[in-house]
Amino acid sequence: MRPFALSYARPAVKPAAATPYTYDATRQLNVLPDGRAATSSRAVLLATGTTASTAGSKTHFDD
Amino acid sequence: MTVLVLTCEEDLTADMVVAKLHDLGVPLVRLDPADLPGRVDLSADYGSNGFHGFLKTNERMVSLSSLRSVWVRRPGTPGTRAEEQSTWLTAEAEQALYGMLTSTRARWMNHPAAAGQARYKPWQLHIAQQSGFVVPATLITSFPAVARQFAATYQDLVVKSVSGKHPGDPPMVLPTTRISPDADFSAVAAGPTLLQQHVRKQADIRLTCVGGNLFAARKEADPDEVDSRFTEHGAWKPAEVPDLVRRSVSLYMTRTQLAYGAFDFAEDRDGTWWFLECNQGGQFGFVQLDTDQPIAEAIAAWLAEEPLD
Repeated sequence: MRPFALSYARPAVKPAAATPYTYDATRQLNVLPDGRAATSSRAVLLATGTTASTAGSKTHFDD
Repeated sequence: MTVLVLTCEEDLTADMVVAKLHDLGVPLVRLDPADLPGRVDLSADYGSNGFHGFLKTNERMVSLSSLRSVWVRRPGTPGTRAEEQSTWLTAEAEQALYGMLTSTRARWMNHPAAAGQARYKPWQLHIAQQSGFVVPATLITSFPAVARQFAATYQDLVVKSVSGKHPGDPPMVLPTTRISPDADFSAVAAGPTLLQQHVRKQADIRLTCVGGNLFAARKEADPDEVDSRFTEHGAWKPAEVPDLVRRSVSLYMTRTQLAYGAFDFAEDRDGTWWFLECNQGGQFGFVQLDTDQPIAEAIAAWLAEEPLD
């Protein structure tokens, strides 16, 4: 028998494909192709969804 | 003295704090435990001169005695990027890393023991009641008859995950969902089920607690909306924290031994904040982006404080 709560589960929406930033091990943070810190771009922060309230849902307990 | 940040590389929320630590001139080492062994190495000895150890990642090496704080953000599971993964290797790597780190004087946000306990949602509800929060009537049961009785009593209900986890394979999400009191509850026997009285809300509240600093944000909601994480409308705005809630948050944080917590409340039409949960590792980036509240700064400042004596 399927647990009751799972009757209300729905398919997860796939995250946006490409991340426009890469990790810079020297600076210990992510950078844009032009070298600026990824966090300097509000558009990137909003677009990537890594700061969203559901960002941890796939791999972590906490949102 | 160094701050140790445990998180995955793609974590932009961690970047927000790392940038602030750079601004403060505080040394830090960032690593992902998933890279142990491989890109992360460790060593510790327990000899006649006591405990000494170090961590190494990329070209950085840090002595465990020089750690002022550890920030557990979004760490991967130890050993999961090893050439030959196994559950045994993960256990070995996890025990070695966290066992060594908890031997230090470093302050934790959050300590693994406190974090592990604080993840239990049933315990959250218990501590919330003890702390004076207003908590919706809640039932966790595997008895269908008890579920039916609860539904008959409260009528307007939601179901949510007990663990907070979403089912995988295939990837699914399980939003908090409103259910009919006439639902067929027989499948409650197939697994513990969390049913809760539905709070008809006029707003969602996210209160982020960093040390003793509180940052509350409010987003207006449709009274019929249940889980705002899965809706896109509305923006978060700064909110004042009622004195009673402030006192309860302080009690909750003391009882749970958490340095960081992200509280979710539903604000009803009377303005009462109903406790829903406290995520010990809850996201804060989305709140800071909307409200400009200096949460990352507060975390950086907390991490930059001197270690315990």
